[in-house]
Amino acid sequence: MAQSIDDVREEHAVHDHDHDDHDHHDHGGWSLGPLTLALPMLVAFLLNGRIEWFTNQDVRLWATLFVSVCVQALPFLVLGVTISGLIAAFVSPEIVQKIVPKRPALAVPAAGLAGLALPGCECGSVPIAGRLVSAGTPPAAALTFLLAAPAINPVVLVSTAVAFPNNGELVLARFLASFVAAITVGLWWAKRAEGSLLKSKQHDHGDNKGRWERFVDVASRDLVHAGGYLVLGAMAAATLQLIVPRSILTAVADNELYSILMFAALAVLLSICSEADAFVAAGLPQFSLTSRLVFLVVGPVIDLKLIALHTGVFGRRFTMIFAPVTLLVAVASAVLMGRIFL
Amino acid sequence: MNRLGRSAVLVALGIIVSRLLWSGGYGWFVQQRMRWPLIGAAVVLVIFGVYEAAKGVREEGRDPESINRSAGPSVGWLLLLPLVVLISVAPTGLGAAAAERVDAYTPTEAADRYPALDDSSGPIEMRVFDFLERATWDDSRSLEDKTIRLEGLVVNDDSIPDGFKLTRFMVSCCAADGIPLQVDVRNAGAALEDDTWVIADVVWRPSETSFEDTEGDWIIEADALTVTVVPDAPNDPYESPYSTASE
Repeated sequence: MAQSIDDVREEHAVHDHDHDDHDHHDHGGWSLGPLTLALPMLVAFLLNGRIEWFTNQDVRLWATLFVSVCVQALPFLVLGVTISGLIAAFVSPEIVQKIVPKRPALAVPAAGLAGLALPGCECGSVPIAGRLVSAGTPPAAALTFLLAAPAINPVVLVSTAVAFPNNGELVLARFLASFVAAITVGLWWAKRAEGSLLKSKQHDHGDNKGRWERFVDVASRDLVHAGGYLVLGAMAAATLQLIVPRSILTAVADNELYSILMFAALAVLLSICSEADAFVAAGLPQFSLTSRLVFLVVGPVIDLKLIALHTGVFGRRFTMIFAPVTLLVAVASAVLMGRIFL
Repeated sequence: MNRLGRSAVLVALGIIVSRLLWSGGYGWFVQQRMRWPLIGAAVVLVIFGVYEAAKGVREEGRDPESINRSAGPSVGWLLLLPLVVLISVAPTGLGAAAAERVDAYTPTEAADRYPALDDSSGPIEMRVFDFLERATWDDSRSLEDKTIRLEGLVVNDDSIPDGFKLTRFMVSCCAADGIPLQVDVRNAGAALEDDTWVIADVVWRPSETSFEDTEGDWIIEADALTVTVVPDAPNDPYESPYSTASE
């Protein structure tokens, strides 16, 4: 296993280089910066109130949903990139190798438990996981952290308990199902030993910089990078919220299998924050607790906005394998825990 | 996107977040408790942006080629899109259009007993959330014959010819998870337009069936005593889903 991790890092370094060369083509000088900033603003001001389409109720609702997903995610993203900047500036690969257990059988559960410590939604954990990989953490452990952090942190568990005041067992089932899913995916990744697929696309140029300069540079680079993908995800989520009204739910309430499948699909499409999804699930009492547990376990680990973020930070090839596997494992784990506890 | 473009985007984001905080407009997009995290984010964004700009300008002076070496992917420009949407579309928050799309909230049982209510010194101000919870779960029927003051917006519905659905959205994180809280207000007088904000003094009209006997279509009704139109939405247009029931 140690061998394969080294391979990853080597591959990573090579990849960095490729990307550097690529970036050099991104010419344009800095004078374009303010211009590209001013132009959309000018267009927006000119459009304001002039075109009837913009006052259309559905367009305004789309705008409300889109902007609110962005505004909600921003503080968590800023927290996430601040931590990822600190990791890049102050945590060397040597330190990581000392802290993180060598054997995946130990490293993966430990990374899962570390997820307990990051209070926030899922948007913040993606840049952190990407940076952990760059800093030399075994990919399997970083992925486990990525999946566990948004699902089992105290804020999410408390909001679940508040949303379901009479179903304490649901909180326990959510915790266990999410934890088991994160560890399963992590161990699967460790076994594949094909770690080269996981390449953090977060780059760090200029090793001769001071630590604080490096911190700000990495943090702001990660912020605009992940932020750009977050905006893509928010657009998709706002659009689907309009296309798939939640009222459609009532159609399949009687069939357990259909409702499980539907809740898994909704969790992916609606992209609701892990701190908020319990309230949405609580508002649908006509469905079984197990099918709603599927919603709570799938949403924090994989949804449209996360797929966009994963693509940005880890690459498309990785996401095409990681997303479906995570979805399947999360559904299976939720159904299993539902059987045991609910 | 090079270093200076990046710093421009960061500062622009910091400014728009500050503007939303200053005007109170953020309340239409996220819960009030996001205020401090947003203040923190705005400060960090501006610091990062200014620092990057200063370093970028200095490096540019020393080594004109350095600017291209620090370039990153151009997907970051998308971060300006929320700004463009805010300015051009001027989103108005959740209202009647959103209420049509999502089933209204059915309260979950939160307390064994609810404190008694006293309206002898005037109408009791109550959150729509609490009204729904008491109307559904309070065995002691504490709402009965009491004058309750509710604030919300008007959503007209064909099922209520003599009134409207007084609607307030329950939002736990951001508007995308909003769920309508609705009380059918009857005998409301002159018809009002959708999305008009009103303060209504109402008396609960107990349901003839129990919650257990109605499948998924639980409606809570009240008779209006007075309905007053308010010109502006309240500072916190949404309610939080946390029950205030004690005992």
